[in-house]
Amino acid sequence: MSRVRMLGSRLAALFRKGHGEENLDAELRAHLDALTDESIRRGMSPEEAHYAARREFGGVEQTKEAYRQQRGLPFFDALMQDCGFAVRMLAKKPAFTAVAVLTLAVGIGSSSAVFSVVDRILFRSLPYPEEARLVSFGLLAPIERDEFMLGASYVDFRKEPGPFDAITAMAPGSSACDVTEQSPVRLSCAFVEQTFLPTLSIQPILGRIFTKEEDRPSAPRVALLSYSFWKSRFAGDPSVLRKTISLDGTTAQIIGVLPANFEMPTLGAADILLPLALDEDQQHRSAPGSVLRTFARMRPGIGLPQAVAGLQPFFERSLQGAPPEFRKEIHLSVRTLRDRQVADARLVSWLLLGSVLAFCLVACTNVANLLLARAAGRQRELAVRAALGAARGRLVRQVLTESLLLGLFGGVLGCALAVALLRLFISIAPEGIPHLEHAHVDVRVVAFTFAIAFISAVLFGLAPALQCPAPGLLIGKEVRTTARNFLRQTLVSAQIALSLILLAGAGLLLRSLWNLENTRMGMQTENVLVEGVSLGQYRYPKREQQLTFFSELEAHLKRLPGVTSVALTDSLPPSPPARSTIFAAIEVAGRPLLSEGTGGMVGWRAVTPHYFSALGIPIIQGRAFQERDRLPTENVIIVNERLARSLFPNANPIGQQVRLFRDQRPWRRVVGVAADVKNNGLAPDADPEFYLPWKNDPVESLSAAHLIVLTRMHPKAVAGWMRAETSVLDSGLPVNIEAMGRRVSKLADRPRFNAILLSLFAAMGVLLAAIGMYGVVGFIVAQQTREIGVRMALGAMPSRILKMVLLSVARWTISGAALGLLGILLCSRLLESLLFQVRAHDPLLLGLALLILLAVAFLAAWLPARRAMLCDPVVALRYE
Amino acid sequence: MATPRGEVLQGTLDLMVLKTLDALGPLHGYGIAQRIQQVSEDLLKLNQGTLYPALLRLEQRGWITSKWGISDNNRKAKYYSLTRSGRKQLAAETESWERMAGVIARLLRTEGA
Repeated sequence: MSRVRMLGSRLAALFRKGHGEENLDAELRAHLDALTDESIRRGMSPEEAHYAARREFGGVEQTKEAYRQQRGLPFFDALMQDCGFAVRMLAKKPAFTAVAVLTLAVGIGSSSAVFSVVDRILFRSLPYPEEARLVSFGLLAPIERDEFMLGASYVDFRKEPGPFDAITAMAPGSSACDVTEQSPVRLSCAFVEQTFLPTLSIQPILGRIFTKEEDRPSAPRVALLSYSFWKSRFAGDPSVLRKTISLDGTTAQIIGVLPANFEMPTLGAADILLPLALDEDQQHRSAPGSVLRTFARMRPGIGLPQAVAGLQPFFERSLQGAPPEFRKEIHLSVRTLRDRQVADARLVSWLLLGSVLAFCLVACTNVANLLLARAAGRQRELAVRAALGAARGRLVRQVLTESLLLGLFGGVLGCALAVALLRLFISIAPEGIPHLEHAHVDVRVVAFTFAIAFISAVLFGLAPALQCPAPGLLIGKEVRTTARNFLRQTLVSAQIALSLILLAGAGLLLRSLWNLENTRMGMQTENVLVEGVSLGQYRYPKREQQLTFFSELEAHLKRLPGVTSVALTDSLPPSPPARSTIFAAIEVAGRPLLSEGTGGMVGWRAVTPHYFSALGIPIIQGRAFQERDRLPTENVIIVNERLARSLFPNANPIGQQVRLFRDQRPWRRVVGVAADVKNNGLAPDADPEFYLPWKNDPVESLSAAHLIVLTRMHPKAVAGWMRAETSVLDSGLPVNIEAMGRRVSKLADRPRFNAILLSLFAAMGVLLAAIGMYGVVGFIVAQQTREIGVRMALGAMPSRILKMVLLSVARWTISGAALGLLGILLCSRLLESLLFQVRAHDPLLLGLALLILLAVAFLAAWLPARRAMLCDPVVALRYE
Repeated sequence: MATPRGEVLQGTLDLMVLKTLDALGPLHGYGIAQRIQQVSEDLLKLNQGTLYPALLRLEQRGWITSKWGISDNNRKAKYYSLTRSGRKQLAAETESWERMAGVIARLLRTEGA
């Protein structure tokens, strides 16, 4: 208690120091006067009495100092003193302060902005309790990127979930569903098992979860709402639990609302959760059953390897049910939820974080060099203070306070910069960076910013702080500062090394981007518009209706002015075809089927005859589809070059008969070979692919399609007409119209984003390295002015002086570059999977990066070196 | 000097100040110093200046309070007086001092015997 009071009183004293000092003076004076009076009364002379009183009292100043120590907080006092001094020092050199703070702010700000983007991908825990125990598990097969399970084996597995505490399944992806009551709207509905929320350990904020009974096939429908849907449609009304919602024509009782931060483990959209209602018998009857996404919570204390081992026996058993040609290509996969969510974003995230931290380090090095140069100018001041009795620790503290203050300013400014940069990142960021929409500068990011600022401040502040003032300085002797120059040169070498790594990385990504943007797509995208339409199950329940709608839309669009051709397709390049089959399932007449393995996947699209002309895909052999191929009785097929090569290596493909999908349908005749179209992202070759005619047959009709429109007119105007024509047919239909060129360039969005960011860091890094080089060479030249003057007076040619300076520069530039090259060799392998048609150790690119850096370094060194060369020996000798 | 003057033991100054204020009521620093020297019959070597940090410490702990007033010879002076918790502290410290002194005394006696 009394300790708290003491602290309080001490703190209070900090704020009324002036007053306290006066009182202390008065009190002590009164005491001394009283002592003096007493002595005079005893018969001393006033002068004797004065001294006697002081003897009796002891040291007045010592008393005061002891009193002050007792009164305030000495540590805090000194800190305030240091801060005050530091502020005065910084304010006295505004240019230096501005440069240092700005450099820091740029470094710290970009680090924070990048951190705020990658934090959710790499570090922040997922919004599920004990998320480390959550895994995504299942089979991995060539047809699918993510693991899945098949219904028949899942219903068996869930009876005895091996290494897991809880398991759950959901339908893959979310499906479109329509609210069919007043103000209809299209939503994403996700179908999940009753165990879904308990496995994720999520409680609804309102209401309850599904019961086992509600998760049965014939149970009355119930629905859980997402928080945002609840807010937007029901205005966050808690009485929503008594309401129903009509979805695709059936009424569902609303039973709960999900938390605001809830997200699907697949990161997919979900406005509404509905019971999966898996029918056990039906799954067995239609074995292998439907595809499911399966998630589990591992038992406490169990790691991934144990989980895999625990699943192995079950996996072996379920493999028996798989088609034989798949068996070899199916693997068991158990991944943590985070791994599944971030997948390929992890590498890029580390890449960006690493490069921005490297850049930040370059910035810090620059500030360290600035401070070192300034510290050289302050040697005398420090020496004087040391001579006057300042302890070494006290001096180090003073210098560190200054750098911490710089770091603090840099951090504050960096925070502001991070907000702006993050906005920029989000605006140029491609789709598909996980969690980007949640990225913002929050407490974590601010904490990171100040941690970085603090670490930077200590890093760049320690070097000057530990420089011991030499006693010789006191008598005005210039002390040789080779050691400090060595430190400074090492810092510049480090900058050069880091900048070279950044530059080479940026070069690789830019080159790869250039390759990507200049690959032959195999189709022409100018003046092509595409329209995506998806028909709801409720308004178009019958296949005939879907077929009619698309035929009518096709006809309507054909009548638009300036439209040259219109085509329908179920999927659009450059995305891979939506549907695919295995190569082994394509049977060529007169040849046995492939007996081993699947042979890989072959994608296919259903297209109308004008597909090839609208997209400008050349037909290399044979012909394109014709209208009569769309008749249900016709059976023709067009293959792409790649598939033609693998199916008919030594024969003319035209006229060959093939049978697909192992079905009993008649043979199909190959009527044409289309040129390859690039549809597989970063892979170098086109994938095998074939086309079937979009039939005028309800059996093959689809609920979603893309329309391709080639036009002679301005695409913007045509897009408006297309929208109008579509709403004539169905005014409530959501329509998405896009220029084909934009669609194709989206393919390069992510590489472009990475390349832009890395180039930005590299450019700024090189610039900072150049500034650092310029500063250090300038400083060294200034230091050596006298030496240069002597040399010139003795007859050295100016060019020799220049050579002398540049040679010493070359030494540390080259050592830095060598270090950088070593770094590149170590790091660039990591980049390999992000590159398109560039080798990670591309010698040309590396050489170019090296050349640029050396040129910049040379220029930065040459400017101050030239000044040395041109200096007048007389002036130089009089220097100081 | 016939008798060597002893140093003030660490911590005993506080007790002396508290006791003085308890005995004489509100008093200024000079008065306290005079009183302590008078009672100790000049056996103690007290640097009177050291009194002031001690007074501040006692005040910070809340055992004494201070107020500016006018001294007997018409000078402005700061008067210190004991608070209630100071009185309690004095009682506690007196008791612990006496116990300690008793222990030391007993110990010295047995040593001597």
